[in-house]
Amino acid sequence: MGENKSDVLQGTLDLMVLKTLEAMGPLHGYGIARRIEQVSDNGLCLNQGTIYPALLRLQQRGWIKADWGLSETRRRAKFYALTRIGRKQITQETENWERVAGTMARFLASSN
Amino acid sequence: MDLIRILWSRCTAFFSRPKLDDDLDAELQSHIDLAVEENLTLGMTPQDARTTALREFGGVTQTKERYRVQRGVPFPSTVWQDVRFALRQMRRSPGFALTAILTLGLGIGANTAIFSVVNSVLLKPFSFPDPGRLVVLREKVQELAKIAPILPDNPRHYENLKAHSKTIEDMAILQPRGFSVAVGNDHPQIVKGLQVAPSFFSVLGMQPAIGRSFRPEEATDGHDSEVILTWAAWQRYFQGDPNAVGRTLHVDGGESTVVGVLPKEFAFPTIDLMPVARHFEAAPLEIFKPLAIDLSKSADQGDYNYLVIGRMRPGVSLSQAQSELQGLQQEYTLATHLKSHLGIGVIPLMEEVTASVSTGLWLLLAGIGAVLLIACVNLANLQLARAVARERESSIRSALGAGRKRLLQLALIESLLLAAIGGTLGVLFAFAGVRIFVSAAPEGMPRLNEVGVSWLVLFFAAALSVATALLFGLIPALRSMRVEPQAAMQGTSTRVANTRQGQLLRNVLVGTEVACTLLLLVVTALVVKSFARVITQQRNFDADHVTLAEADLFNSNYGQKVQNFDAAKNSFIDRTLTGLAQIPGVTSVAVTSEMPLAGESWIDSVLRPDQPTPEGQRPLVNVRMVSANYRSTLEIPLIAGRDLELGDKSHPGNVLISAQTARTVWPGEDPIGKRFQLDSEMRTVIGVIGDARVNDLKKTASMVYEPYWENPRWRLYFLVRSPLSSSALAASIRGVIWKVDPQVPIPALKSFDDQVNDSVATDRFQTLLLSSFGTAALLLALLGVYGVMTYSVSLRQQEFGIRIALGSDRAGLTFLVMRQAAYPVVYGTVAGLALSFVATRWMRSLLFETQPGDPVAISVSIALLLAAAIFAAIVPARRAASIDPMRALRTE
Repeated sequence: MGENKSDVLQGTLDLMVLKTLEAMGPLHGYGIARRIEQVSDNGLCLNQGTIYPALLRLQQRGWIKADWGLSETRRRAKFYALTRIGRKQITQETENWERVAGTMARFLASSN
Repeated sequence: MDLIRILWSRCTAFFSRPKLDDDLDAELQSHIDLAVEENLTLGMTPQDARTTALREFGGVTQTKERYRVQRGVPFPSTVWQDVRFALRQMRRSPGFALTAILTLGLGIGANTAIFSVVNSVLLKPFSFPDPGRLVVLREKVQELAKIAPILPDNPRHYENLKAHSKTIEDMAILQPRGFSVAVGNDHPQIVKGLQVAPSFFSVLGMQPAIGRSFRPEEATDGHDSEVILTWAAWQRYFQGDPNAVGRTLHVDGGESTVVGVLPKEFAFPTIDLMPVARHFEAAPLEIFKPLAIDLSKSADQGDYNYLVIGRMRPGVSLSQAQSELQGLQQEYTLATHLKSHLGIGVIPLMEEVTASVSTGLWLLLAGIGAVLLIACVNLANLQLARAVARERESSIRSALGAGRKRLLQLALIESLLLAAIGGTLGVLFAFAGVRIFVSAAPEGMPRLNEVGVSWLVLFFAAALSVATALLFGLIPALRSMRVEPQAAMQGTSTRVANTRQGQLLRNVLVGTEVACTLLLLVVTALVVKSFARVITQQRNFDADHVTLAEADLFNSNYGQKVQNFDAAKNSFIDRTLTGLAQIPGVTSVAVTSEMPLAGESWIDSVLRPDQPTPEGQRPLVNVRMVSANYRSTLEIPLIAGRDLELGDKSHPGNVLISAQTARTVWPGEDPIGKRFQLDSEMRTVIGVIGDARVNDLKKTASMVYEPYWENPRWRLYFLVRSPLSSSALAASIRGVIWKVDPQVPIPALKSFDDQVNDSVATDRFQTLLLSSFGTAALLLALLGVYGVMTYSVSLRQQEFGIRIALGSDRAGLTFLVMRQAAYPVVYGTVAGLALSFVATRWMRSLLFETQPGDPVAISVSIALLLAAAIFAAIVPARRAASIDPMRALRTE
């Protein structure tokens, strides 16, 4: 089983997906994966496949919903969109993440 | 909220898997297509565009697998898959499956059976309310501590304790007895029962289901003709007639009125008066009568002829009760100016009843547990070998995206499935095993009638099955996960397997097995040696061709209300002896007053008039009332003086003593003609006879043999010597006794040999069971070593082929394999020795004249084990040496 080059923290990936959907509107899996790659400026080596369990997780929580539709190149693809709960959740998740990141930053700073 | 939603979504997903799988396939396909499309626009060739898309995606199968894990209710779906797969595996190698299931079935079955005995006898509380508060009180007398550390109770001391104790809520004095019960015109029979104080039933917290309990005034002489029956006795004597209360039963030659019937679940255990006495008939208690004690006739010295049970107050601890009662006893000693110092032992009822068997039973459970452990180790080895053979399979699985957890789950489910089937089989075996145990167990074992398979036992079997599955499944499962997929795929499976770690693991397993086996062998050797010592002791009597018949004169013809009852008894004995001697083929007839080999009884102290010692320091002797030819009938050697004769009737007080009595009372003197005081009467020694082990094969006792006519007893044991078998004589013996008096019950009629055998039934039973465990362990160890060596030789086949091709000689190869086998065996032996030094300590109480560290037992065990190990290793070693190098090298 290929070692995960992209062992991104689970919550991190979820938040990235949510933010992407918030910024871009409904988008298919490939689009989300590409967008994350672009935003991270290819600094994050993400196996695109890992996005799917994350998408499923978010669906199970009811934060996003999925529907089949057509891509800009008229290809059948599954599009994901934020739900009302998901939109509210972004604020909270962002706060959480900032708190963690802040703590982390202090840790890194103190060890220098 | 989240949790519920997730669960709901997972559950619905579980039921629409195929549709969702299609959906996922389509989605991933569209993802790849989109990626390829974009790559093409970047100017890649179609080929490159596709490869890049796939690479960037990562493993498609892995993604799917993770997605499914996230989606479904992970457990049932994959478990069901694995169960089906495991079943297919079993069908594919039925030999292994069958071996494993049978081994586990037998192992779990035997363990469960022994556990249900341990549970019923030692763990299950009595059926009385709050049984933990029930205690047995036994007195101690400081001056007698050396001879009899703990005694039954004196009724006067009981009255004092009952009146003053604050820690004991209530207590009841009682006396175990046999009652002679006659139904219709049949000869009466002896049934076991208790004479009890009226408080007995309230102390136990149980009242008769029908009728009433005894009233206080019924515990007085003349008013004590009431009887309370157990449920079983009520069925037997009155066929469960609901109007039985008020009817009469013929007890001890008189009429007793039934006043109550106890509930069905009432089960009071058998308790002996003397801790040194032994009972080995399983007859349950049937009858309860009031105990009438005339305290004015009892003395503060002696009369330790009763037992007391009590119920502690709630919240009172054993040590609190002990110290309070001890204090009361000491005050009483001072207040009554007793010459001996009284003490007391407060013993939990459970301990009183089961102390004699608990070590033995725990040992049996530990022994059979060790056998199961060895069996598990064998299975673990087998599983390990199979796991290695299937290493390729598991590496392919992991290459295809199976997670570690999933691989572990599969391996464990296989083991669990085997254990579950084995465990189910084991439960069936356990039902049979319990029955066999109960029928083979010595009858005198306490609570044997309560032994059965209960829910707790079934739970134990289930837990045991899971434990065994983990034990033999976990190590191989963990190991199979460690394999690197690439290594396994590239090489042949055998090369991967024979790593150093694999070798070490196998060695540890074999070593464990050897250690456990040695421990069991040592235990077996010790009990066998101990038992051999018991039965080969110099007995100084000859039990062959002697038949034993017990007659019980507790009936109104001989009772204390009869004028001159001693004469009546003497007449019965004389006429019976004469009648028995006239049976054709009978060579000699005698009578004695106590059941042979039933332990010490009728103990009294001896006072030398020339050297008076205070009470409490006088030597104790077992007194037997015998006929003149008792010694010659049992062929006990005559050491000095002469036998009793009929002529002694005119010289009252003439007695025989045993050599031990002579040594104890008259050390270094000639006892013949010496006089001593026994029970306030003077006796004269006319002869010394050998130290016959008539009370107990395990020890001799100081004996005094009085002529029966001076003090005829109510319970008589006739000894009939004849070349005819006991079964051939039985009818004639009964005929003689019943011709003299048809109202005399004959509770026992058997050969003296049987009595000797029954007296060591517990020892024999333990020896038998433990040695069968030892044998099983040895066989399993043999199989284990053989299996591992065969397997390891088969792994090294090529290596051996090369060695032979390079000129290694066959003896050298044999040696190589033997040396490999020697490591775990030697380490295991050392560990086993250390283990047995520790473990055999607590079986000291089970051993007779055998030390736990007995060198013979230990060296025999080691020799046996090594012989088995060599035998197990030599076959594969020779196979290794006879490998054809050409074939071995071509096998790849």
